[in-house]
Amino acid sequence: MITEQERQIAASCLDIAREAGASGARITLTKSTEDLIATLDGQIDKVTRCADRSLSIALFVDGRFGSFSTNKLEAAALKDFIFRAADTVRMLAPDSFRRLPDPSRLCTSARSGREMDIYDPSHEAVTPAARRRAALDAAVFGRIRSDEGIIPSDLAGGKEGVRLISEEGEYSDSDYDVLVLDSQGLECRHSETSFDYGVEVTVEDENGDKYSDYWWTASPRLADFDASACGLEAVRRACAQIGAGPAPSGKYNMVVSREVSSRLVTPLLNALNAYSIQQGNSFLVGSKDRQLFSEGLSIVDEPWRKGESGSKLFDSEGVATAEAPIVSDGAVRRYFVNTYMAGKLGEAPTVEDAIRPRVCGYPSPGLDAEALLQRCGSGILVTDFNGGNCNMTTGDFSYGIAGQIFENGRIVRPVSEMLVTGNFLELWKHLIAAGDDYRLCTTKLVGTLAFSDVDFSG
Amino acid sequence: MDNNRDLFGVSLAQLRSLVSEGLKGGSWCDLYFEQTSYNDLLLRDSVVASGGFHLDYGCGIRVLDGEKTGYAYSESTDYQSLLDAARAAAALAGKGGVFSASPAPERPADLYPVARSWDGVPKKELARWLERLEEKIRELEPRTLKVIALLSWSHSEVMMYNSLDSLTSDSRPLGNVTVTVIFSDGGARTEQRNVSRSYRCGAEMLSDTLLEELAGEAVSALDDSFAARRPKGGKMSVVMGAGASGILLHEAMGHAFEADFNRKGQSIFCDRMGSRICKKGINIIDDGTIPLNRGALRFDDEGVPGQKTYMVEDGVLTSYLHDRISAGWYGVAPTGNGRRESFRYNPIPRMRATYMESGSDGTLDDLIGSVRKGIYVDKFANGEVKIGEGDFTFYVNRGYLIENGRLTMPVKDINIIGNGPQALADIVAVAGDLKIDNSTWTCGKEQSVAVSCGIPSVLIKNLTVGGE
Repeated sequence: MITEQERQIAASCLDIAREAGASGARITLTKSTEDLIATLDGQIDKVTRCADRSLSIALFVDGRFGSFSTNKLEAAALKDFIFRAADTVRMLAPDSFRRLPDPSRLCTSARSGREMDIYDPSHEAVTPAARRRAALDAAVFGRIRSDEGIIPSDLAGGKEGVRLISEEGEYSDSDYDVLVLDSQGLECRHSETSFDYGVEVTVEDENGDKYSDYWWTASPRLADFDASACGLEAVRRACAQIGAGPAPSGKYNMVVSREVSSRLVTPLLNALNAYSIQQGNSFLVGSKDRQLFSEGLSIVDEPWRKGESGSKLFDSEGVATAEAPIVSDGAVRRYFVNTYMAGKLGEAPTVEDAIRPRVCGYPSPGLDAEALLQRCGSGILVTDFNGGNCNMTTGDFSYGIAGQIFENGRIVRPVSEMLVTGNFLELWKHLIAAGDDYRLCTTKLVGTLAFSDVDFSG
Repeated sequence: MDNNRDLFGVSLAQLRSLVSEGLKGGSWCDLYFEQTSYNDLLLRDSVVASGGFHLDYGCGIRVLDGEKTGYAYSESTDYQSLLDAARAAAALAGKGGVFSASPAPERPADLYPVARSWDGVPKKELARWLERLEEKIRELEPRTLKVIALLSWSHSEVMMYNSLDSLTSDSRPLGNVTVTVIFSDGGARTEQRNVSRSYRCGAEMLSDTLLEELAGEAVSALDDSFAARRPKGGKMSVVMGAGASGILLHEAMGHAFEADFNRKGQSIFCDRMGSRICKKGINIIDDGTIPLNRGALRFDDEGVPGQKTYMVEDGVLTSYLHDRISAGWYGVAPTGNGRRESFRYNPIPRMRATYMESGSDGTLDDLIGSVRKGIYVDKFANGEVKIGEGDFTFYVNRGYLIENGRLTMPVKDINIIGNGPQALADIVAVAGDLKIDNSTWTCGKEQSVAVSCGIPSVLIKNLTVGGE
């Protein structure tokens, strides 16, 4: 955690910046630790200890702007660093839109850093032995294989003779602490802890074909951390892909599992960023207050969800966050406009990005994957994306997928080597339903999603 | 530079003491010191009004017990901090080991000579080069709406020491120019182009030639891009243009040749060593010795001299890509592929410049002329592979339909998918026009490292093309 001495070092950088001729400055001091235990096939494979700190400075000098960072925090080194930074800024072109946020917008409520209730003090007491135990307890390799390496058929989805080839698990616990100060008197702090486990398994069927898949969990609190189901879930997912191949090309209903559905939301949020809007590098230019999507699509930013990782009281400029609609009933309600872009676009500033976006359940709350499969009847359930991209100027996308064909609401067979292709503006007009079966350990709260008339090729 | 001990403030006696401490927990210990300065200038809205620099400094200490790894790092190189890191890495608590002597590694050629130091060039001159680049793009193409150009350059001083009592140093420059251009047809339609170049050299890379090259590439065949549509999807023959199509080798084959995936039994190639995996005459290489190349390394991040490694010779799989761990496990010499993003990461097998040698099946036109119905692709954005299954996907920015041996409708924004071993086996023709692509390729396997790729024009039968 950031010490009082380190806080004073950060504060002194504001004085040095002033001495170097800066009219304004913002200091961001981050500090983190992470302990990581990796396992391979149920044995400890790697032990890693990470400890980082970094000081970033945004400098406003003579109507110009630059950003700099260093991890050398000795007083003499910092003074030299900031003076050199100021000299560099003076060589850049003036930019009248660069300024610190209006003081009235700054966060004043993040004093201790623990207001969001996602810092678990018990993290400090986790011992190396406890970490090893957590990593080894989560591994399933030695527990579910026969001597010949065979997975019991009930774990392999009824398939016989499936071998578990490898299991790579990774337990980690970490803390992260950030302090933001600026020359207008801003001081805000955010602290969080995280306990994480992720596992990837490779299985081999009777034909010698390999299939791999993964699962993970995370929690800001040790008491809520439970990795016991991860290994089995990864095995289940890998076995579910055995025998996968392409389905005939055509239009299908598409249901996207909650663990990967944010892949379809992220391009929307990126396209609403003012940098993209201002540069014309967005398929949502001119979209504000226009109904562009299905009325079933509502996205709200909820940065104050206490106890959930990702929740935060301020953005990187120190601007106070607030709950706000992003898309309501299919209409775009806001761009994400930082102080700089507000000047450039002539827009009112907001927080600079979505902090804790949530896609609201539609058409009713309480829907999960099973309910969406039933509602759609038949189609393709996407459980993983493999590569692909989105053209941000047009919204055209193409992603590789793996998943399952379903008929009459029930899984029939696995598919792979298929592509889903379309345009985001069109895709979101074809939203059938949105589940609210969120995984709280993900950054964006997006449940299972269902769309109609989606192009698949294989 | 013979070593960087003064820069990092450690004596040889201290290095030996730290390694001795690490060897209490394993049979191998190595130290990786790094100081990297990263600088950038951004042109946006026709002015260079944003820039900065970033400093990173520290040392990573690794202890190995067989294939097991203990790793810790310190952002300070004072002796006590390093000793704490060595003890943390030694917490792996293996059997312990001892120093052993080895011949000093050979001194590889200087692969990245700097004719003009980045630090010696006034920022205004660098900014002016970016402004001239925009002017050239606008001159060539009046439909230019926006130009965003980022010039970045970094310099890493690294020093490596290990329990073979081997001390090596490297001084690694890297310059990058990335340009995004938004074009408008005057109506509602816009097009985006991304072009980039990256070299391990000094500011001499910012030549008029490079400026013309980037501007020309940014605006080339723009009418076709506005006219491009998605083709009807399905399985078809695909002609890959020379150069950037090398992403196919990187994603679909190169990762599966990385020895860690094979050691763990995860790669689809783990039991194929010595087997024929593609047609005779095909050679696939991973090369750290191409001068000025983004993937060039005089020494890898384990202190192993840079090498040129044939993975496939005459169609037969002959070598995986090894770091010291996998080399020890397989009982072969390391291939110089132990790489890491920074001192914060332990090294793992990674590619450098991955390419296929030129073949003898004629020219690009010959390949296109042999296809009745298919697709020609020449611009890619990115790719991804599932190591176990070998399934890969890569995204095509630009290409053309091939109908009866001729290029017809321009296509864009599609994916091509396939299976690595199958795609290799399905290469039916290789032209003699190998081209290394010098764009800013970055591989993201656990950590980000700079790589490059290349390929001659090749014809592959039966790849799946996404479309309407």
